[in-house]
Amino acid sequence: MEDKRGELKKIIMDTKTLPTLPGVINKLNALSNNDKASVQEMAKIVSSDQVLSARILRLANSPSYGFYRVSTISNAMILLGVNVVKSLALSSSIFAIMEKNSVGLWEHSLGVGVAANLLARKLELPECEEIATAALLHDIGKVLVSLKCSEAEQEVLKLVRDRQIYMIEAERDIIDTDHAEIGGWLSKSWFLPEKLSEPISFHHDVIKSDNHRIKTSVVHIADVLIKASGFGNSGDSFVPVIQKVAWDTLKLNEQILAELVAEIEDKLVEVKNFSLEMMGE
Amino acid sequence: MQQIPIMLAKAGMVLAKDVFRGGVPAGMPICGKDTVLTDALITRLDQMDVQTVYVDGHPVWEEGGQSIEEMLQALDKRFEKCREEPLNSMLYDIYKAHLTKSMGGEGGR
Repeated sequence: MEDKRGELKKIIMDTKTLPTLPGVINKLNALSNNDKASVQEMAKIVSSDQVLSARILRLANSPSYGFYRVSTISNAMILLGVNVVKSLALSSSIFAIMEKNSVGLWEHSLGVGVAANLLARKLELPECEEIATAALLHDIGKVLVSLKCSEAEQEVLKLVRDRQIYMIEAERDIIDTDHAEIGGWLSKSWFLPEKLSEPISFHHDVIKSDNHRIKTSVVHIADVLIKASGFGNSGDSFVPVIQKVAWDTLKLNEQILAELVAEIEDKLVEVKNFSLEMMGE
Repeated sequence: MQQIPIMLAKAGMVLAKDVFRGGVPAGMPICGKDTVLTDALITRLDQMDVQTVYVDGHPVWEEGGQSIEEMLQALDKRFEKCREEPLNSMLYDIYKAHLTKSMGGEGGR
């Protein structure tokens, strides 16, 4: 088992490129050719794509730029410049080979990003954009497993189906690690700031998050809510247990939750249309 | 709330979101949320290039759409492993109430 984990870690740490969905690229390209487009508008398009967001953040945070840690897409875009982002987006389109089955995961990630953003705003938390970014990237580990170890992924999905268990349990069984830990390795190797890497690493185990427990809690709750809603397809068919520590950290109550569910469901109607539009391109 | 093409809009339906000219938020606002649609208004919206509107409830059944019973069944299935947990059970009740309301509630047909 140990070598499997080590082997997997090596594969992940070697990762230089990740696939992204071409619809986003087209939109971004059209926008960057338009002189009137603002960075915020472009950041909005980029934020809808987990892989492209991650690539841009990785570049902005790479030691060669020598700046402070950057954790929002718009800051990264201002830092890097529109042309760099555009070329990054274009080079990503080589990876237009993203398979059909990742559309569900993409929708799930988008949904969790939306839910985390709404929750953070509702609780008037600082750094809502960072929280939304962390939420968008929270399952980046699954994208990696699917890309780099597609055989293991199939085994995991089969185990989930056969034994009707949570995906994270199946992952631990088969690859001796899980998508959260893999996402954590990846964010470290990309020098992402802790406020992004902690929620990615611990969204299934909030208590392990020390420095950014609030952000991790938001991502955890958002993940539960989107799974409860049945929006997208994370690979899990069951809603995870709400972790008490996350609930207490955010001081949630029934009324907040009920209002939040109504807001999220309204927003998801729009997200669904956006997602269909992207798929159609 | 449901998004429907303007051609399926009927008098009596209630707008769930503001409507803008050309259907984009950058366009001129035409009429607000909670407005009750009339035949004359629907014709006007159509002439102003509005292609879809958001209305309260779930008045139009779409191809491949699920019935409320199917939706509640799927909800039960999703919560199968965690219904015993007090917080999850609270969330389940909230979702059930939300689904019931959004499918059959005000403005529903």
